[in-house]
Amino acid sequence: MKFYYFHLMPYIMDHDAPSSWVTLSNRHYDPGLGHTLYNQYLDQFEHAERLGWDGLCVNEHHQNCYGTMPSPNVMAAMLVRRTTRAKIAILGNGLPLRDNPLRVAEEIAMLDVVSGGRVISGFVRGISAEYFSTAINPTHSRARFYEAAELILRAWTEEGPFPFDGRFYRYPYVNPWPRPLQKPHPPVWCPSQGSTETVEWAAKRRFPYLMVFTPIKRIAQIYGEYREACERYGYQASRYQLTVNVPVVVAESDAKARELAQKHVMWVFNVGLRMHPPFWRPPGYMTEASLRRLLANPPTLPSELTFEEAERDGYLIYGSPATVRDKLRIFADELQAGILCTAMNGGSHERTLELMQLFAEEVMPHFREDAHVDETAGVGR
Amino acid sequence: MPAARELSIRGTPIHMLQEGRGPALLFLHGAGGAGRWLPFQERLAKTFSVYFPSHPGHGGSPAAEWIEHISDLAFHYLDVLDALGVERAHLVGASFGGWIAAEVATMASHRLASLVLIDPVGIRVDGWIYPFLFGMDIPEIVTTVFHNPMAALALAPPDQSIETLALQYRQGAALARVAWNPHLYDPLLRRRLGRIAAPTLLCWGAHDKVAPLAPCGETWAREIPGARLRVFADSGHVPHLEEPDAAADAVSEFCRLRGGAG
Repeated sequence: MKFYYFHLMPYIMDHDAPSSWVTLSNRHYDPGLGHTLYNQYLDQFEHAERLGWDGLCVNEHHQNCYGTMPSPNVMAAMLVRRTTRAKIAILGNGLPLRDNPLRVAEEIAMLDVVSGGRVISGFVRGISAEYFSTAINPTHSRARFYEAAELILRAWTEEGPFPFDGRFYRYPYVNPWPRPLQKPHPPVWCPSQGSTETVEWAAKRRFPYLMVFTPIKRIAQIYGEYREACERYGYQASRYQLTVNVPVVVAESDAKARELAQKHVMWVFNVGLRMHPPFWRPPGYMTEASLRRLLANPPTLPSELTFEEAERDGYLIYGSPATVRDKLRIFADELQAGILCTAMNGGSHERTLELMQLFAEEVMPHFREDAHVDETAGVGR
Repeated sequence: MPAARELSIRGTPIHMLQEGRGPALLFLHGAGGAGRWLPFQERLAKTFSVYFPSHPGHGGSPAAEWIEHISDLAFHYLDVLDALGVERAHLVGASFGGWIAAEVATMASHRLASLVLIDPVGIRVDGWIYPFLFGMDIPEIVTTVFHNPMAALALAPPDQSIETLALQYRQGAALARVAWNPHLYDPLLRRRLGRIAAPTLLCWGAHDKVAPLAPCGETWAREIPGARLRVFADSGHVPHLEEPDAAADAVSEFCRLRGGAG
């Protein structure tokens, strides 16, 4: 199994506002504290590479305390020059949120060339709330996503210049300099929440599918749908197309880990993902079929998730190194996930570094039968 | 009880309520108003032949993927008039429906015996930004739209079933297609209002918080040549729901004096 270190770069705080997204006033943001946090978080990423993590994951979110990376490419740019080995996974750029998606093609190519071909390019629609922050019409989300992805892939793979004339994006000259280093292009990942349409789209193109903060049962179901779709497209999914993102807390003992998980991981769900209800469901963001599936089996709102549910359903993993090893077997052996993205938070920078080291020394080595494999070979393109 | 009709308008299926005898009156509903035959319509049907279609994607009308812009809806209603064989109609639109009606009037005033706009949105008004309705939950919407929240009960959903929630989502999406950004207006419309040649009545709730009388109502009154402005003292954004009798009487009185519909 491959291990990727994932960070939201949260601005951890308590507040009584109804939403941590879109409307939580930025007067709460203290840039002085932000300076410290950003630099600690970047140090953690660099530390992760030294400890043996295979990849480092950044991501895009807007106007919230949950994750302060409105531009993942800016953070990736800082990492490519401070690391030498790890993949830099941008999970991802919110394509429909861009009025000029060619900029994504350009920036990813820049990062790929500078990093010597270590970049993984996630394509996402952006979660529901981003449509309130960016004012992009959510009824265009899916169509803009497909069109921008097509444009970017063509810009990376076809010799320019060529004209592009889409419904949303039109260019007389598509001819970005630089071109990406990896051939035919950097691997593309699809972080998603399991909509049938996206599963199909990713499977058809061999783009790895990443499930973020999802109960294990649902991961198993979506992986099943993804594998089936791959077979329909005439191939067997590699395990490196099945990626999972789950927060892990490993400590000296189960009790110690439980305490840290309860305190720090639950913040992500209970506060970080607290959202004014309309922000969860911008009109037209989902197809009506997806909406009906959701309504038939409504998931617990993250803000109402209890620690017991989170533990039971596998929203998070905690324990001593031995316990965490056991729990990870479910992902590695039963779900056959090839890549595990994990965020870690020990409550302070120093404690987080300790947890990372414990995980790297006591957990990772037990899952390294594929150490010689390049997880990006033949997938994502 | 009005008759329910299913029509196909140049290939787009729609659901329409219809009742009454007399000059033709086409009513264009606002968001959430599809298929709600209420005292306002009942009263108008005593004097007019009232046509009350649901916009595509609203109420009983299925979503239409070809609708991308408010002018698509305006052309759709010119098609509706053609399909009904109505040469000239009194056109009455409320809120979002008022926006569509105004677009229609800028295109084809000659098809209108008169135009009544009830608290329309649709133009950019200096000094006003429409509150972002898509970001509001139901209680916030009720307080924003209604001066008398009890009047909102008439629009309350019958239940919380998957069918009802899916309908609400579909209606929200149909509205968002044309009204998310710019929110609730067409940047080109205000300049074009000067083209409206149909006699125009503006009905406005004194307590409208979506599009307040000042500056919104006053702007419309300035931009449409010869428009009359009638204010409803006990209404917010929806006088036809909050003061249905007074609003219906104002419409009837205005339209009766301006015949030629049929």
